[in-house]
Amino acid sequence: MRDHAKAMLTILVCALFVVIATVTFGYAETHPKEILVGEVLPLSGGSASAGAQIRAGVEIAIDEINTMGGIKNMGGAKLKLILGDSKTTPDGGVAEAERLITREKIAIQLGCYNSAVTFPTTEVAQRYRCPHLVNVAVKDEITGRGYEYIFRDFNKASYDVEEMVKGVKLFTEETGVGPKTVAFLWEGTDWGSSTHDFMAELYPKAGFKVVLDESYPPGQSSFAAQLIKIKRAKPDMLIIACYTPDHIILSKELLTQKLYFPFGLWSVGAGSEDPTFYRAVPQKAVEYMFVQEDGDIMIKRRPFYNTINKKAKAKLGYDLNVYVLCGYGTIWVIKDALERTTYSPDLATFRRNIRDALAETDISMENCADMLTAPNGEKYCPALVRGIQRVKFDAEGQNTYSHGQISQNIKGIHWPLSPKAVRMSDSPSLIWPVPPWDKR
Amino acid sequence: MAETLISALVAGLLVGGLYAVVAIGLSLIFGIIRVINFAHGSLLMASMYAGFWLWHIWGIDPYVSIAIVVPLAFLGGYAVQHFLIRPMFQRERTYVVEPLGVLLLMAGLDMVMANGALLFFKSDFRAVTVPYGSAAIHVGFLTISITRLLLLVISVLLAFGLSWLLSRTELGNNIRAVGQNREAAALCGLNVYHIFALTFGLGCAVAAFGGCAMLPFYFVDPNMGLPLAIKSFIIVVLGGLGSIPGALLGGLTIGVLESVGGQFVPATSASIFSLIIFLLIVFFRPKGLMGVLEA
Amino acid sequence: MKQRPISFNWIAAAFLLAIAVIIPFVLNKHPYYVHIFILVFLFGYLSTAWGLVGQSGQLSFGHAVFVGLGGYTSTILFMDYGVTPWVGMFAGLIVATLFGLIIGYPTLRLRGPYFALATLAFALALQTYVVNTQMVGPIKLRGAMGLLLPLKNGGDAPAVFQFATKTPYYFIALAMMVSVVLLSYLLNRTRIGYYWTAIRSDQEAAESLGINAGRYRLLAFLLSCALTALGGTLWAQYFHYINAERGMALSLSIEIVLVGVVGGWQTVFGPMIGAMVMIPISELLRAELGGGFAGLHTLIYGLILMGVILWLPKGLNPLAMRGLNWLGDRLWSTSTPGKDP
Repeated sequence: MRDHAKAMLTILVCALFVVIATVTFGYAETHPKEILVGEVLPLSGGSASAGAQIRAGVEIAIDEINTMGGIKNMGGAKLKLILGDSKTTPDGGVAEAERLITREKIAIQLGCYNSAVTFPTTEVAQRYRCPHLVNVAVKDEITGRGYEYIFRDFNKASYDVEEMVKGVKLFTEETGVGPKTVAFLWEGTDWGSSTHDFMAELYPKAGFKVVLDESYPPGQSSFAAQLIKIKRAKPDMLIIACYTPDHIILSKELLTQKLYFPFGLWSVGAGSEDPTFYRAVPQKAVEYMFVQEDGDIMIKRRPFYNTINKKAKAKLGYDLNVYVLCGYGTIWVIKDALERTTYSPDLATFRRNIRDALAETDISMENCADMLTAPNGEKYCPALVRGIQRVKFDAEGQNTYSHGQISQNIKGIHWPLSPKAVRMSDSPSLIWPVPPWDKR
Repeated sequence: MAETLISALVAGLLVGGLYAVVAIGLSLIFGIIRVINFAHGSLLMASMYAGFWLWHIWGIDPYVSIAIVVPLAFLGGYAVQHFLIRPMFQRERTYVVEPLGVLLLMAGLDMVMANGALLFFKSDFRAVTVPYGSAAIHVGFLTISITRLLLLVISVLLAFGLSWLLSRTELGNNIRAVGQNREAAALCGLNVYHIFALTFGLGCAVAAFGGCAMLPFYFVDPNMGLPLAIKSFIIVVLGGLGSIPGALLGGLTIGVLESVGGQFVPATSASIFSLIIFLLIVFFRPKGLMGVLEA
Repeated sequence: MKQRPISFNWIAAAFLLAIAVIIPFVLNKHPYYVHIFILVFLFGYLSTAWGLVGQSGQLSFGHAVFVGLGGYTSTILFMDYGVTPWVGMFAGLIVATLFGLIIGYPTLRLRGPYFALATLAFALALQTYVVNTQMVGPIKLRGAMGLLLPLKNGGDAPAVFQFATKTPYYFIALAMMVSVVLLSYLLNRTRIGYYWTAIRSDQEAAESLGINAGRYRLLAFLLSCALTALGGTLWAQYFHYINAERGMALSLSIEIVLVGVVGGWQTVFGPMIGAMVMIPISELLRAELGGGFAGLHTLIYGLILMGVILWLPKGLNPLAMRGLNWLGDRLWSTSTPGKDP
């Protein structure tokens, strides 16, 4: 070839090389390979079973998102989960948050189930300016400290108690009869106390007389002493806040003693939302019990149930529960936010951008960017599978559209009965008052 | 008022029976071998898991599974003493071992067993459901759970049985001899280490017996051992170390105190009660209610 | 006789200290590792303070309660009364010493396991009380919620023991650990230390020589409680949170014991060595295994404890000392051949 042509060719090849290099690097700048998502959970210690459930949901969602092509806005970047074990202790959670945020360099964090762990762990996230989405923890103060990096897509303890009060009022209105007196039995540590504070405030305000207000140290071998007090106080309704092991013992003793509450036994959650609890007590012990559910209790009927449950059962060995869906839904909320986030190779800026995108979140059935199709053709929004209708955070980072439902256990099935909108067409009617033991 | 107190008393006795059956084994181990079995709770937990799986997989009733689990617990206890604790004695080359060292060793074992259970069995709470689980007998205004009553009866029988074994059989005499003076016992030709191991096994077997009888109304999970063990330490000291009837009495006393006390103060304070009583006993009457040994 | 103008050990200590001082600047971009060091120093401090009781021959199984008392006192004084933790930590020291007296005095005469159980019961009782109590008189304990440290100036307020970066905490923790180890070392060379050794080896013999075992035991115990309480304030200030469920927990007491025992709990340097070994192992285990196999890291912890008791009853301290001596012989001996006897 003539020299002139050789030169031209060389320049052309170099130019091409430069262009390709620029495009590649530039592409990498705007398109990360993967986005690190941290999740701090109690994987060991007292709350390990709940931790395992949330984890299952998180893993399933991440898997789905990655299979469907990752974050499209970032060139198909995949989500990568980095787990932290809080060991059900606050300093464990804090240590893991430090590790995830500073060493593993996660872009966003979720967690931590226990309120006592979530409280300081979110403070770490705020300090490092890393966005944190609370996926299960009810202590009101977690949002409400003015921490702009902290968001919660779950009920606050005050919501839980309000829903119960509303439920009682609804049932009373419909049937014309209702309780006048109420008794509280609650575990004396973090979750029980925060829930109890609202119970003690809202029930009297709603016109009920509190005839017994009894806390207990978790881990008792017998509730006999408390049951004697309860028997003496003769409440129309007993409201309990118990973790699983205590709930098991309490339920068995209530059954043996045949203690009767005309307007039922009401449970705020925890134990009564743990599938292992129901495997451990006979149905008779929980018949007619009212539960403040943290999510859609009729999930078995939803078109997406089988898809998710198959994977959950493979991981857990039993059917999914609301905590699995909590983990699942919050990952899709993050996906939604990431699709609206501008990537930046500078981690601090990236986290800031994610935070801003989260603050703008507004997902609902009419406005869901990630609609999926169930096997039966129906469409559903994965961020809402927990049973809520909307995800939108207020100025304090709280999803004010988060809600649960009140269910009654009738013949082994939890039928949602309050608010009215969640009632199923084939639901048996509310059993109110509940029948005495000899009539069951 | 009388009704409340009587109900509380009865409830306290029932819970006391549970406490006692866990404490009896501990008291025996401490009385003879002079080691604090910090892993007692986890050994109880292991035997309860065994009972649970027997029920879960083969449908064996918990009371029937006693026949399988108790011998296994005995062997397990024997092994623990033989393989883990004995080397510590032998190192000292006397029959007195640094009790703190064994306490720490057992604490380590407790950690290993509890987390091993967590690894293998996961953290879910398991429980046995039997048709007679909620059966109760009615005596006047009292409703008494049959399964809990059975446990109380069992713990009383075990306490008496063990006492009888210790005082009226040759094996029992040997065990007591070793407990009193090891060198002398060795000089008399007794195999001290073997007797230690037998005693440890016996202590675990008793706990396992109670554990299976707890299954119908209790639950199992990896972390259940330590709280029960701590209660047992209190009871053993209250009742007097080395005294089997003392452990029974101590268990019943604590149960009744918590139950009756819980009528007048919140349950949390009642639980602090028993800890304070423990401290008072340790300060003022280290011998405990019926103890034969000095603190 | 090998003669060394300055003991090699002091050189080694100075060398290590110099490295420790440089570390936070070298690891400036890796706050996670600085965090691990801070934990090492914190537990080194707590276990060494705990170890003072061990030097007098007793094993305390409830020492976390003094961590909690110290942290709670200084934090409540700060949150509700505006007292800076720099001053509050000494109030915590006093509170802890008082409680130490309450439990320490009656238990003077108790033998080993009973003392251990008594401290365990005392800690459990106090912890249960705090967890379940919102207010005691005018003092807001806040029960199970714990105390979340309010950040002043966004966490950058050295006057109230709050720092924006990890480096100041690093140096404070390092200083505290070095101080308490130094204190332990010096005490050991005084009469008090000799008495402790005597009581620890054979109480009856010591008493027959006229040593008042009870008095010196109590001294060790009170000193230990007081120092541990200061560590409690550091805990609260560093984690920005302290609660009785964890801060006064048996699990924390056991961790302190474990670190001390693995290092060699009746020695001066043992607990510090234990912290330098166990804390990084713990972090590593949890980071690698914690997510995958729940509980495995604690299981390994338990195995290490058992292994140490069975095979290294004096902990790692003797090994470390031997290693140090070997190194000293290699590097520092000034003996001349032919002159040695």
